[in-house]
Order: sequence, then structure tokens, then C-alpha cells
Amino acid sequence: MTTIGIEERAAIREGFARLLSEKASEADLRRTMASDSGHDTDLWKAISDMGIAGLLVDPDHGGVGGSILDVETIMEEAGAALLAAPLLSGGVMAVALLAESSDADLKARLLPAIASGETIATVAVTGDNGLWTRDDIGVVATAGWLSGTASYVLSANIADVLLVVAIAGDGVAVFEVDSKAGGVTIEPLQAWDPTLRLSRIRFDKVAAKVLAGVDSSSVERTLDLARVALAGEQAGAARRIFDITVEYLRTRVQFGRPIGGFQALKHMAADLLVEVESATSAARAAAQALAKGTPDAAALVSLAAFACADAFHQVAAAAIQMHGGIAFTWEHPAHLYLRRARVDAQLFGASAYHRDRYVSALETAA
Amino acid sequence: MNDVLSQPVVVEGDVAAEVEAFLTKHWDKENGRPRDADGRIRGWMEKVFEAGWAVASWPREWFGRGLDKDDARTVLAAFRKAGAPGAGQDRTNISAATLMTFGTDELKRGLIPGFLTGKYTNCLLYSEPGAGSDLAALRTRAERKGDEYIVNGQKVWTSGAHKADFGLLIARTDWDVPKHQGISFFFIDMRQPGVEIRPINQITGDSHFNEVFLDNAVVPAKNLVGKEGEGWKVLQTALAVERLIMGDGAGERRQGSSKSNVVSLIDIAREAGKINDPLIRQEIARATAYRQLNALNVARAKEEMAQGTSSPIMSLGKLAMSRILHTDAAVMTQILGAASMLDGADNERAADVNYRTANAYMTSIGGGTDQIQRNIISERVLGLPREIELDRDVPFRTSRAVTG
Ligand SMILES: Cc1cc2nc3c(=O)[nH]c(=O)nc-3n(C[C@H](O)[C@H](O)[C@H](O)COP(=O)(O)OP(=O)(O)OC[C@H]3O[C@@H](n4cnc5c(N)ncnc54)[C@H](O)[C@@H]3O)c2cc1C
Repeated sequence: MTTIGIEERAAIREGFARLLSEKASEADLRRTMASDSGHDTDLWKAISDMGIAGLLVDPDHGGVGGSILDVETIMEEAGAALLAAPLLSGGVMAVALLAESSDADLKARLLPAIASGETIATVAVTGDNGLWTRDDIGVVATAGWLSGTASYVLSANIADVLLVVAIAGDGVAVFEVDSKAGGVTIEPLQAWDPTLRLSRIRFDKVAAKVLAGVDSSSVERTLDLARVALAGEQAGAARRIFDITVEYLRTRVQFGRPIGGFQALKHMAADLLVEVESATSAARAAAQALAKGTPDAAALVSLAAFACADAFHQVAAAAIQMHGGIAFTWEHPAHLYLRRARVDAQLFGASAYHRDRYVSALETAA
Repeated sequence: MNDVLSQPVVVEGDVAAEVEAFLTKHWDKENGRPRDADGRIRGWMEKVFEAGWAVASWPREWFGRGLDKDDARTVLAAFRKAGAPGAGQDRTNISAATLMTFGTDELKRGLIPGFLTGKYTNCLLYSEPGAGSDLAALRTRAERKGDEYIVNGQKVWTSGAHKADFGLLIARTDWDVPKHQGISFFFIDMRQPGVEIRPINQITGDSHFNEVFLDNAVVPAKNLVGKEGEGWKVLQTALAVERLIMGDGAGERRQGSSKSNVVSLIDIAREAGKINDPLIRQEIARATAYRQLNALNVARAKEEMAQGTSSPIMSLGKLAMSRILHTDAAVMTQILGAASMLDGADNERAADVNYRTANAYMTSIGGGTDQIQRNIISERVLGLPREIELDRDVPFRTSRAVTG
């Protein structure tokens, strides 16, 4: 349960936003995305020093002891800045999975190091189809040895620790693997969004340590958490590119007046505002439901997953159109939002999958 | 080799047979290239031009064959069937069509052959930083000095400027009349010291378009097309040709390639193993229907025009194509699923879909945005009241574009 109050959450958000505006501006982002690693060590240190990498880590392990409410809030800011950092994969997913474990030694070893930013962790879930479903797990564990492939893994290129979801016997288990261990091959996958680094990881008889007490339901819970975090990112990113666009409508003059005076654009902006506000509401409602464990949590998580993915994509796509030629240039940020929107729309399951899950949840409730 | 005796006997005036004979003799259908030993396209284009097939509907004294619409269509169909380029340029060659309508005889004689044979390439020097949708607000100035105009200003988004021999330039020659009335249209030689070209990086990763800085660039007065101050009218003709081309799916070609790039959604779905996915089938139906319905619209419009009635449908083509291209890219993305996150040479299909996703904006923004197309359709085709334009009737010098 959360130990952070509303005011404190707002203060964390404000501090994080300030940090991002100082150290993760568009110019910084462009420098980072053009680098080999796609990672900004100084920025990550600053984020960790603020406690953001350990937001979900309990205070006993050097964390802030926050909840999904805090994560969702922070991710709105991260999304707005198109943050390039191992936050979602490490600070959210890896921490959530580790927290599920009953192994006190493991937690004492990894959580403080993740919270401090020293250790970068990521989670490998899906196989080559990129469905993030049980059927698409591509790694098999036999007597503690992992073989197979995991794909679309975030930030694996800079990770120290891999938490690998694998089929073990009839069930699902999660394993801790040193990213430099023998038999591990991390192949970079070129992503359309240059601010992200994705990898495909091959495991060839890799010795791995099972996470005690972690099973398929732990993985599902972690994925739902990740979906809400991602929904927050999408809502925040949609709002930022929307704001940029509305500002442009105010200042760009054609036919003797600001283009925002044309109904064609006004109406588009009004429709997009509905999307942006709906995405924000969906992401926050899902976070509340998960935090409280209310019965409608499953439905709200699925709703947030597709509503935020679709809204972000729609807003980013329209933003280019509403800017005209200037947004067709690489130097303008609009396309970076479209790129992130298109990649985000696939992470942890695409909209069609979530719509289906949404209806299943409604059925169960009815 | 071709057996000369087996060639059809050509009766003068039988256009179908004549064009068949020409194609059979000079074009290697199987390999999709000219029969000439070196197989160069330029040589082929010259042959097409000399035979009058390039602009078959134009009079014989102006590079054509004086054919009526039906016969001209027969020619184009034969070329298309053979996969041979070069015909139908009366409707698709922006420079040639504009010159033919408004150029002096001297200019027509001097420039049209070069454009029709591909010896000359062009670029469109219309848009400026402050004048995009509102092109008439342009501020590049052309001042007459004896037999020349001296041009100063800046153009932007100029596709292909770095490769062009000539620019179709609109510039202001009179600042004391309302904005549409003080514009003149020129063909400017791009290869001169006063023209500086800086490439702009596009969201597609290419850099086909450019900023063009005109610093005391020189245009001979004889390169003025239409009268001084009548450039807006000339521009409408040039824009109409451009929009027709874009409505025909020019935006589907990878820039710099003349090959059509239509891929079947069915093939992509098969390849991805999703052809039986009911959701994907619905989406394929939606996207393919947009394309087919547009094609049916165009076919009906052509028929109506052949019967002498004018059809409003032709104005819809570019807008329709914009929706087609954006929808295609979205459906392809959905079919690819997670693979659509990837890019680059290792992920060819995804890279192609990504390119389409970005490049679709070329059709929805370039050549007049979708919003502007909708204004044109509602105002000019439907005759709905015009949007109020504050600075339409005031001397340009006093309008907001100048005074800020
Ligand atoms: C790939 C590409 C290639 C191009 N190639 C060339 C070229 O070779 N030569 C050339 O001269 N130009 C070229 N252009 C420029 C193109 O013609 C302009 O970008 C376009 O006309 C829009 O102008 P703008 O970019 O200034 O946008 P703006 O006119 O500033 O438009 C911004 C937004 O306002 C909207 N808007 C503007 N006026 C109205 C209105 N009255 N009602 C409703 N909405 C309105 C637009 O739809 C758009 O959404 C190219 C553009 C692209 C993207």
C-alpha cells in the first residue's frame, strides 16, 4: 500500500518535471538517441538520486516505497519528455517482479542496487511474435538452464541483470541472469523510435537462478503494472505534443490570421483534447484501481492500455498534419512523438488484444 | 530479334495499330526496357517525343499528334500495358503543360522538348516560410531591370531543387495591388550563382526537399510565363496538374523512383500468417475499399468527361489518395504487429511500412494540405460561401504578411 500522500506525490512530480526540463530537453534527447547506447548516464544518475528508480522499492531496501499511483504520475512526465532511460523496464517492471519474490536475500541484493541506479535491470517476457502472452514465451527452463529467445526487450543493451520469463515444466517461472553470462547473446534490434533500444536475447544453455515464489500470476500482475505505467507515458506524451500543436495554432499566421482561427483546425484540436483528457483519466483510473485492488481493475487496466495507446497515436499523427510542412522535417519534434506512439502501441500487447481482454473483463463482471 | 514480316501493317490514322507497332519495334516488353543496345531511358524518351506520343493530344506543330480524347487514351493504355514510360505527358508534365497553356511560342519551342524528353528536370519554387497554404502571401521579389528580372527571397520545402535544371518560380512583381494580383510566374535557371540550395532532413530519413535562397538571381524577361501580374492564374494550372499526379498515387512511389510501389495488403497478411484473422480481414476490406472506390470514381469521371460533361470527381482524387495512403500504412502496421516497432535493412517489411507511414504526409500536406483541398472542394465544386479572407482585397504592402 502506498505511503506517499497526494501532496508529496505532486511534489515528486514537480521535482521530476524540473529535472527533465533541465537535463532531458529535446536537445539532450537528440544527443542521447544518436549515441550508440541510447543511454545518458548522468541523467540516469540524477533520476536515481531523486529516488525515481526506486520509486516502487520499499524503504527497507533503500527505496521510496511508492505505489502504482506514483509510477503513473511520474510516467506522465517521462512520456511528455519522451524520456530515454531504463525506467519502465527497470524501475517499474524489474522492481515489481522482484517484489513478488519470497527470496529475502535476492531482494536485499538487487533492490537497493536498482533503487540507487547502480544496477540496471530489465525484464524479458515475450518471444519473437511480440504478443506478451503466455503462448509467446520463447525461453524454456530445464533444470535451471535457459534456452531459447526473448524479443523486444527494452534497454537490454545497457542492462546488468536480466529477469527472464520462461516456461518451466507446466508453469511459468522467472529467472535471474547476469547479462554477461556465458550463453547469453544480446542482439540489438533497430527500432523505428530512435529514442528506444530494443534487443533480442538468445539463451543457449544459460545457468540461471529461479526467483522463488514468482509464478505466472506474478508475471501477469507485473505486466498489468507495466501497462498502467505505459498508459501514463502515453497520456503524458499525448498531452505534450497536443500542447505544442495548440501553441503552434496560436502563433502560425496564414491568410492574415492565426491558423487556429480556422474551424478545420479548431475542430481537430477540440476532438484531440477529448482524446488527451480521456487518456489521462483512463491511465489514472487504472492506477487507482490497481492500487486499491478493486474488482474493476482488470477492465480498467485493459481500457487504459488501448485507450491511451490509440489516443497517443491519434494525437501524434494529427499533430504532424496540423503543423504542415514544418513537421515533415527531422528537426521538428512531432515525428519523434509519432515514432514513440507507434512503438508504445505494440508494447505489452497491441490494442486489439486489450480490447478483447476488456470485453472479457466486462463479461466476467456482468 | 523481332521478325519484321510479322509486324502488323499500319494504316495511317489507325492509332491503336500505330502505337502497337511503335512499341513492338522499340520497347522490349519482356525486360521492361528500350530495345536500343544501351537501353537508356533518355534515348527512349526522345523517340517517344519525336513520334508525338509524349503529348498525343497536342497539335502536330506542338509536339503532338492532334488526337482526340479517345485516341489519346488508347495511346496511354498501350504504353501502360507495355510498361513503357513517356506517354500521357499532356496531363502529367507540370512544366510542359504550364508552358503549353501560357508560354510564348519562343519559350514553348525552347523548353518543352527538354522537359518532355527528360533532358530538363524541374522543381517548384512556390512555398516560403511565411507562405504555405496561403501561397499568395509570398514575399520573394522579382524586379525588372532591362531584359532581366532580379530575384531575391527564400523558398522552402522545394522537392528536388538540388537536381533541377529549372525552377517554376512565383515571385512578387507588384506590392501595391492585392496579394493575388502582384504575382508573376517564371522559369528560372537553377544553375547560377544567385541560387543557393540547402537540403532539409525529412521525417522519412530522406532529404529530397530543400531551402532555396535567391540572392540577386537572374531570370531573362523572356522566361516570364503569362503576363506580369498574372502569375496566380498560371500557378492554378500548374497546381492542378500537380494535384492530378498526386491523386494518381505519385506519393506512393519512393521518391526518386518512377516505379509504382503498390503492395497488396493480402500479400502482407499472408506473409505475416494473418490472412485468416477476422479482424485483419475487416481492416484489409476497409483499406482496399478506399482504394478501389477511388479508382471507380476516377473511371466514372473519365467516362463522363469523355461524354463532354465535366465531372467534380476529379477534384476529389488528391484528398482520396491521402486517406488511402494513411489507411494503408495503418493497416499494414496492424498486420505486422510487434514487428512494426523495428526498422532498418534487417527488417525490410517494417522499414517499408514505416516509410509509408511517414511519407503519407507528403500527399496530405504537399501540394496543398487536406484541409485546403477540402476548402477548395466545398467552395469551388459545391459553391459554398468562401471562407472570409481578411487581406484578400487590400494592397499587399499593407497586409499582415508584410506588416506582421
Ligand atoms: C514532402 C513535401 C514536399 C513538398 N514539396 C514542395 C515543393 O516542391 N515546392 C513547394 O513550393 N512546396 C512544397 N511543399 C510545401 C507544401 O506545399 C506546403 O507544406 C503546404 O502547402 C502547406 O504549407 P505550410 O507547410 O506552410 O503549412 P501551413 O500553411 O502553415 O499550414 C499549417 C496547418 O494549417 C492548416 N491551414 C492553413 N490554412 C488553412 C485554412 N484556410 N483552412 C484550414 N486549415 C488551414 C493546414 O492544413 C495545416 O494543417 C512540400 C511539402 C511536403 C510535406
